[in-house]
Amino acid sequence: MKNASVLGAAKPAPVETEALTLMLGDRVLLDRATLLVERGQVLAITGGAGSGKTALLGALAGQLPAGVDMAGSARIDGHLLIAQGGRLAPRRPLALQVAEVVGHHLGLDLRSSLRRMADGLDRMGVPAAARRFDLPPEQLPEQLRWACLFAMAVAVGPAVLLADAPAAGLDPTVRLRLLHRLADWARADGVALILAGRPEDGLAGPADRVLALRRARLLPANPARTEPLTPLEPPGTARLHARGVGMSYPLAPGPRGEARSLAVLHGIDLDLRTGETLVLLGETGSAKATLARSLLCLPPPTAGAVVWMGRDLMATAAPSAAGDARGDDPDRGGLRRARRDLQPLFPDPAASFDPAMTLGAQFGLVLESLRPDIAADRRDHRIDEALEEAGLRPEAALRWPSALSVAEAAHAGLARAILSEPRVLVADEPASRLSAEERETFLDTLMAVRDRRRLSLVLATERYDEGLRDAHRGVVMLAGRVVESADAGTLRTAPLHPYSRAMLAAAQGERPALEGDAPSAFAQPAGCPLRRRCPLAREFCAQAIPTLEEVAPGHHVACHYWDTPADG
Amino acid sequence: MAEYDQPPLSHPVPPETPRAGFARGLSGAAILAALVLACAAAPLMADGSAVHRLDADPVAAALLDGRGSLSFALLAAVLGGLLGIGWALLAGMLGTLAGNRAERRTIAAAQRMAGWPLALLVPLAGGLMGPVWLLALVTALTAAPAVAALAHAELSSLMRAEFLTAARAAGLPESEVVRRHLIPNLTRPLLAAGVLALPRVLAAESFASLLGLGLPPALGSWGASVGLAARLGDPVAFVPRALLLALALWAACAIADGMATGHRKP
Repeated sequence: MKNASVLGAAKPAPVETEALTLMLGDRVLLDRATLLVERGQVLAITGGAGSGKTALLGALAGQLPAGVDMAGSARIDGHLLIAQGGRLAPRRPLALQVAEVVGHHLGLDLRSSLRRMADGLDRMGVPAAARRFDLPPEQLPEQLRWACLFAMAVAVGPAVLLADAPAAGLDPTVRLRLLHRLADWARADGVALILAGRPEDGLAGPADRVLALRRARLLPANPARTEPLTPLEPPGTARLHARGVGMSYPLAPGPRGEARSLAVLHGIDLDLRTGETLVLLGETGSAKATLARSLLCLPPPTAGAVVWMGRDLMATAAPSAAGDARGDDPDRGGLRRARRDLQPLFPDPAASFDPAMTLGAQFGLVLESLRPDIAADRRDHRIDEALEEAGLRPEAALRWPSALSVAEAAHAGLARAILSEPRVLVADEPASRLSAEERETFLDTLMAVRDRRRLSLVLATERYDEGLRDAHRGVVMLAGRVVESADAGTLRTAPLHPYSRAMLAAAQGERPALEGDAPSAFAQPAGCPLRRRCPLAREFCAQAIPTLEEVAPGHHVACHYWDTPADG
Repeated sequence: MAEYDQPPLSHPVPPETPRAGFARGLSGAAILAALVLACAAAPLMADGSAVHRLDADPVAAALLDGRGSLSFALLAAVLGGLLGIGWALLAGMLGTLAGNRAERRTIAAAQRMAGWPLALLVPLAGGLMGPVWLLALVTALTAAPAVAALAHAELSSLMRAEFLTAARAAGLPESEVVRRHLIPNLTRPLLAAGVLALPRVLAAESFASLLGLGLPPALGSWGASVGLAARLGDPVAFVPRALLLALALWAACAIADGMATGHRKP
C-alpha cells in the first residue's frame, strides 16, 4: 500500500491545466482555468447549453472546435474522447468500428478487439444476449449504443477518458446506472474520468468532484433548490375528475383483417383539487404526456371520462355528427368555456406557435376566441400584462416565433396559457428544452404565476426530485399505469414502489436498483411491466398485473411485493 | 469588449443565418428568369433565317429554340403541379371522410409510380399522338406522382404540427383552425412540391425531343436541336443549345430544392 502511494505520488497527474483560456471571437468561454485530475478520479463539469463544455473537452483532447482560440497550457496523458452524441457511424457494423478504434489504439486484430469489447460490455452490465456486434448502431437501442461506446473506452483503456454529454437523452434510471458503472471502472483501473454535461443530467452523482462552468469560470457547483419557493397552500375541493381514462391507437389490420390497436393508457383515475399541484412522474413510454393531453381532451381519450366542474368534456369534445346543428356552435356543449379554464403548456413551445403569425396576433386570436368579453381595444393591454407576468417584455408581442430563443418561447408559451385567466394549467415537460439557469428561471416563473393566481397545475416530467419539489401530490406512472401515488413529501422521502425508489435514487445521483432498459410498448411482458428490471420480482409477478392498493391514508402502491426486502 | 453573460429574455436576437438551399434557389430563379427573358427577346437579335438555318448565329438560334422548350415546360409543370397537389389533397380528404386506409392506398399508388420510369411515356405519346396539348398532359402526368408524394408528406407533417393543437386548445373550431392556421402554412410547402414538376417535365420533353418524338419542329426545342446537331456533327450548333438546356435544368432543380428546403426548420 505504501509502495503504491509512493509510486502514485511519483507520477504526475494525467490531466493538468494552467490558466487555460478559451475565446470564441470576443466571447470568453473559459477564463484562466487551473485543473488537476488524478488517476482514478471522476470529475464532472456541468454547464448550460453553449457554456463551453465541448470547447473545454476539445481543448483538453487537442481538438479545438473551429473558431475557438486557446491560451495557457494543458497537459494530458494518453486520452480518449467520447464526443457529444457518441459519433458512431450509424450504418457500419459495430464490430468493424470497434476493431478500428481498439486496433488503432492497441494494435489488435478484430478477434482480440471483440474479446476486449466483450469484457467491457461485462463491466457495463450488458447481458450476453444483447450483444449484437454484427448490427449497425442505428439498429441498436440507444441504451445499448451508449453501453457499447463505454465498453469501447474500457477496451482501449486510456489514461484519461473525456466524455461529452455521456448517455444524454437516456432515461434517468438507465443513464445513472451506466454512469455509475463507468465511474466504477475508472476508479478500479486508475483512469482519470472527466464527464461534461448539463446540470440536470445527473453527472454529479457518480463523480468525486463537481465543477460548474459558469460565467466562463470553473466554480464549485451550486446546490439545486430543494424546497418550494413559497410554502404551498393546502388545496381546495376537487374540480377536475378523470375516471378510467384510457387511450388506444389504431394499428394496421392483422393478417385476417381483424382490427388491432395499441393501448398506451389503462384506466387512470385522478382528481385535481383547486390550487393543487399534481406531478405526473415517469420515463419514456410511461404515457404521462398522453394522460396530460387526455385531461385536456387534445385528443379526447378513447375510454373513461374527464369531468370538469360537472361537465363531461369527452362528450363535448367528440366530433359532432354530419349535419349536426351544433357543428359551428362556438361554445358547443360548453367546450370553449372548459378550454378557457384548462390551458396547456407544450414540451416544444417554439413549435406550438404558428410560424406565419406574430406572437401578438396569435395572442389576440386566443383572446378573441376564449375571452370575447374583453373588448378588442383592451386586448393589447391584456397581452402586455400576460407577457410581463411570464417574464417577457411587452415588445415581444411584435416578434415572430422564429425569432425567439428557446427560453423566450417557453416564457411566451406560459404567457399564452395565462391569457384567458385559466383555473388549471396542464404542463407537459414545459422546460424539457431548457437547461441550467434558464430552466430554473422558467420553473420559478411558472410557480410564481401559479401561486399568484392560485392555479391548479398538472406537471408531467421525468425529473423526480424537481417535479415533486413544488408539488402537493405525485403520481408515478409506468407503461400507462399508475404504480404509486402519494403526497409529494412521502414520495420524496419514502417511496415504496421499486420504480419510484429507482427514480428517486437517479434524481439524487445514486445508483438505481433497476437493471436493463424499459420494454417497448409493443413488447410489454405479461404481468407486471417492471418485472424484468425489478429487484423484487418473483415468479408471481409474471402472472398478474398488480393493482393499486392503499398502504397508508392517501398512499397507493401497485406492487405485489412492495413490503418485501430485495434480498428476501 | 469580452462578453460573459447570455442575452436577457426579449433581447434582440442576431439575424438568422441564411438557410441551406436558399442561395442556390435564388441563383436558380435568377438564371431561369434571365433565360426566359433572353428567349422572349431572341427574335429581336436574330434575323428571320435563324430559326431554320444551323449556320446562323448559334446563340440566337439556341435562344429561339428555348422559347418552345420553356413554354412547354411551364405549361406542363403547371398542369403536373396542379394534378400532383390535387392528388395529395384528394388523399387527405379521403383520409378524413373514408378513413386512413383509403388515404394510405391513394398515396401509396403515387409513391410507387414516382419510382417508375414514367418519362418514357413522353416519347411514346409524342410518337402516337399529334396535338401538343395532349403531349403536355401526358408530360404533366409523368411528373404528378412525385409532386403528389411530396405534397402529401408536407401535408401530413403540417397536420401533426403542435401549433394546430395549440389553436384547438384556444377553442378555435376546426373551420377556423383550417382557415387561420392550416391554409396560410400550407401554401408554401404545396408550392414547393408543385415546383418539383418543372425540372421533371423539362427533362422529359428534352429527352423525347432528342429522340425526335417530342415537340413539333415548328415550335423549336433544345432537345430536338441538340439531337439534330449531334446527328450532323456540328459542335457550333450543339454546344450553345446543350449548355442552355443544362443551365435551365440546373436552375429548375435549384429552385425546386431551394423551395423544398427553404420552408423547413434547419
